[in-house]
Amino acid sequence: MGEESKNENFSILSLNGTRSEAEEIAAFYQDLNLRQIIDRLTAKWGKNIRKLYSFLPPTAEDEAYRRAVYGDIKNEEVYRALMSYTEDLEGVAELRAEKDKVSIPLQKAVWQIRETEAYCRCYEELESRLEKCVLSSVGMQAFLEILKEILDSSGYRELRERTEKLMKEIRELRFTLVYDKDRISVVPVETEGSGRYEEMLRKEGGREIRQLQNPFRSNPSLTELEYACLEILEKKKPQLFRELRNIAEHSEDYEKAVLRRFEKEVVFYLSFRSLEQELEKAGFCFSTPETSEDRRMEAKGLYDLALALSSLTSGKEVVPNDLYYEEGERFFVLTGPNQGGKTTFARSLGQLVYFTRMGLDVPAESANIPFFPDIQTHFSVEESVETGRGKLKEELSRLAPMMEDHKKGSFVIINELFTTAASYDAEIMGKKVLKHFIGLGCMGIYVTHLKELAEGQQGVVSLRAMLNDQRIQTFKIRRGAAEDIPCAENVVNKYRLNYEQLKERL
Amino acid sequence: MKVCLLYEDGEHTNEESYYDSASIIKDLGLKTLFLAAAKKLVYENGEVKKAEKEDPYLVETLRSVMMIPLHTKEEIEYRQQILGDCIRHEELIRGLYRIACTVVRKWGELGRGPREKMQQSNPVMKLTADIKVIHLFCDSLSEIRTLLTDQEELSSKGLCAFHDGLLREFSQEREEYIRRVLDDISFYTDGADQEDEGKNQVVRPRIVLEAGLEDGMKFSSLKLEELSSRSTKFYKPGSTRYKFQEFMNSRIPDSFSAVKDARISEQSQILEYGIVSYLTEELKSLMEGFQTFFDRLRYQTAFYLSAVQLLRQMERIGIGWCFPGVCGRRDLEFSDLKEFVMGLERRVDVIGNSCSLKQKDLLIVTGANQGGKSTFLRSVGIAQIMMQCGMMVTAKSYQSGIFPRIFVHFTRREDSEMNSGRLDEELSRMNRIVEQIGDGSLLLLNESFATTTEKEGSVIAYDIIRALKEAGVRILTVTHLLSFARRVREESRDMPEAGVEFLSAERKDDGTRTFRMIRHEPELTSFGLDLYEEIVEKKTQSRS
Repeated sequence: MGEESKNENFSILSLNGTRSEAEEIAAFYQDLNLRQIIDRLTAKWGKNIRKLYSFLPPTAEDEAYRRAVYGDIKNEEVYRALMSYTEDLEGVAELRAEKDKVSIPLQKAVWQIRETEAYCRCYEELESRLEKCVLSSVGMQAFLEILKEILDSSGYRELRERTEKLMKEIRELRFTLVYDKDRISVVPVETEGSGRYEEMLRKEGGREIRQLQNPFRSNPSLTELEYACLEILEKKKPQLFRELRNIAEHSEDYEKAVLRRFEKEVVFYLSFRSLEQELEKAGFCFSTPETSEDRRMEAKGLYDLALALSSLTSGKEVVPNDLYYEEGERFFVLTGPNQGGKTTFARSLGQLVYFTRMGLDVPAESANIPFFPDIQTHFSVEESVETGRGKLKEELSRLAPMMEDHKKGSFVIINELFTTAASYDAEIMGKKVLKHFIGLGCMGIYVTHLKELAEGQQGVVSLRAMLNDQRIQTFKIRRGAAEDIPCAENVVNKYRLNYEQLKERL
Repeated sequence: MKVCLLYEDGEHTNEESYYDSASIIKDLGLKTLFLAAAKKLVYENGEVKKAEKEDPYLVETLRSVMMIPLHTKEEIEYRQQILGDCIRHEELIRGLYRIACTVVRKWGELGRGPREKMQQSNPVMKLTADIKVIHLFCDSLSEIRTLLTDQEELSSKGLCAFHDGLLREFSQEREEYIRRVLDDISFYTDGADQEDEGKNQVVRPRIVLEAGLEDGMKFSSLKLEELSSRSTKFYKPGSTRYKFQEFMNSRIPDSFSAVKDARISEQSQILEYGIVSYLTEELKSLMEGFQTFFDRLRYQTAFYLSAVQLLRQMERIGIGWCFPGVCGRRDLEFSDLKEFVMGLERRVDVIGNSCSLKQKDLLIVTGANQGGKSTFLRSVGIAQIMMQCGMMVTAKSYQSGIFPRIFVHFTRREDSEMNSGRLDEELSRMNRIVEQIGDGSLLLLNESFATTTEKEGSVIAYDIIRALKEAGVRILTVTHLLSFARRVREESRDMPEAGVEFLSAERKDDGTRTFRMIRHEPELTSFGLDLYEEIVEKKTQSRS
């Protein structure tokens, strides 16, 4: 479609159109159970979106840019416009696939024309729908401007007219095939037939009937019989056939790179929006996070999104939690009984920061989150066969790069570090780790079974997973001093085997 | 289309059968009954000439239908009415069953079911078979319709509704339409046959299609304008006539031969196949409502045919019958009730019993050995099962409640050795029954708990029966446990509300047994001495 425009660098995902493509997927991705969430999205939206979710946008400005775009996407009309646009694009892709299946030039030409027609219609439809919407984000406004410019260009209009004219001629090229006395004769017809035999079937059978399919449809290429018919028709319409052959020889790329990029990137927002709507229907709430300059952080009704998704099928209850860091508070140290919801809480906190950083909504009633350049996680590798020294070594080797200077200001999630080390050593190491991260200006959460870590450190807040009066897990996380959990009761609780529990179960 | 000859409101394919129906069949001897019902009696000059070999499908079906109880008076009367019609119009029920069987058999031969998968490798054979199945359906439905329309005075709701349904779902117009389309595609199945018959005729199609090219120049948005099959003269390829014909045809403008080029010829056949299979699918979906129709018809008519044949057996032996009536669960009233299985086995009429229980929950039958107690119990059990599947019963009159759950606990002769293993087995059977039994159940106990001493057995029987009675179970028991019987008798003396009745095998003053049950208090002896006298001492006397 001619010359490249100055808008070539436009991206709906980042302010300057920079492509943030890191080499490997961040470690937190796995630890925060994001994979489970993204897998669910890829089932519907294709594997390509995995990449879009794998990396954080580089700057706070990018984050804000995205948040504004997502604000527009949440407008029902904009969402519907874009959703039907993606459906139309699927139609275009199907026609392209048909084109790729054939090698006979006449066939390629026809599919090419239909594909172009569908492509044009798809973007025109999007333009007219978006025009009717109030767009408040810089990103969406810029996109609409670019789209208008393209659709208004002379190159586009020429393409459009030529395609329409040819398409009309192709649609009007109908003929009658008579198969009789072991011969096949072909006659072009002026007006479309009514299907007299099918009408009889419809009338006598008293109901709608299926469309008669081409018996040769399983072969995308022309059969000899079909080709023989075309040869007769070509004699009748030499002009049209010449034109088609011409198109086949000089096929051109009508697509705009900037639109292709938009097409790939916009599903980032749409996929999350569809997930959000599905969960909202099931009673889960989402909110747009506020971003604060003063590094205060709080959230109400925070839950684990991956757990919420699996609860849709399992029906298990998902317990939400509130949290806040007061001024000067940097790290939560979370202790409490096994199976008490500690890891889930840590994960949901990580997801909170992640979705904020991605410019999307967060799984909480409300949230106020400062900007974190990065997210660091350290979860023990459960499948690891290593124990003792080996395991400690493995843990430390993953910890070291997290503690490098350039990671300052990150949000850090540490889940059960040094479990195999002696308690005395573990306590000392744990305190050092906390101190180090706080020194780097990081915030985060440290889940541990060592209550000593929760005591007497600058910037550390002690949180506890709570039990109720019957000493059953409530999955509620509250501020409070850490306490020792007796081992036996721990196990009993784990299997819900004390008297009251059994009474309840039976 | 639904058949609905067993239930008015649907096919009810998931109804539950009696718990442990195997025991019911064994203890009541129902196998004899199934076999008798599956045999057609052949008459000559009004006399039974012979019985044909049994139809195994009838045996299976009757077993299955009889073991599924009906739940309401309406359901029972619905079947009784249909059975009444079938008795009056035996040829109708025979005809329906025969047609259904034929369809199921032929359809099977045409590759129905699992064999279909094998045939998928040859779509042409599959299509030909499909067309034949449509012909088969069409012919059979038409035959059924004629059969029903020819029948006058059908009075049962079920058969009338079936007839109306068929007229609606397979009307004359519908049939004509289907046959017309079958005619139009007949070239596909008839072509070859006619050639074989040497008639010098060949059936060829004329197909007119309208098409566009928007799907990448392939035939697109096809429309079928004309289709017909026509018989034309067949000329040998290469013969002068053939060449002449070919020459004439080649003068058709803008045309090409569909047979000369091998590829095009092959594709012409694909074109034929495409059109024919399109229409065949259309007809198939029109016939979709009859996919299970013939299986159901076969199953349901099998039941009525068995019942009619059973009735012919009754007539042959000379046992009278009636349609039973439904009353409350605490009542049981019948006259001249006969144990039909025994009658079938002996091929003679047997002694009938009469009985009238009002507001009773427990019937205890005691009395002389070989006095007909067990026979009496079985006769009630058999009648009850027959009644609850909508059949007639072998009595002058029979009124009873409906018990969707019937349990039998018989101690068979060969079981009655006294040892702990036997008692264990007996009680474990009882345990399984107790897990299932409840309010509104009927329990038939035949000499239960006799595998231990009379004293112990009496205690066990007393506890179990008392508990079950309190739980709302209706119990009929034949017993030798006289301590048990006396105890119940003492407790219920002058208390009609206790709901207990005692019967005893009648014994005349001279000691002869009449095999009739009479109302009688349980005594301390079961007249085993009589039997001993009859069998042992009389023989000794006659010898001496």
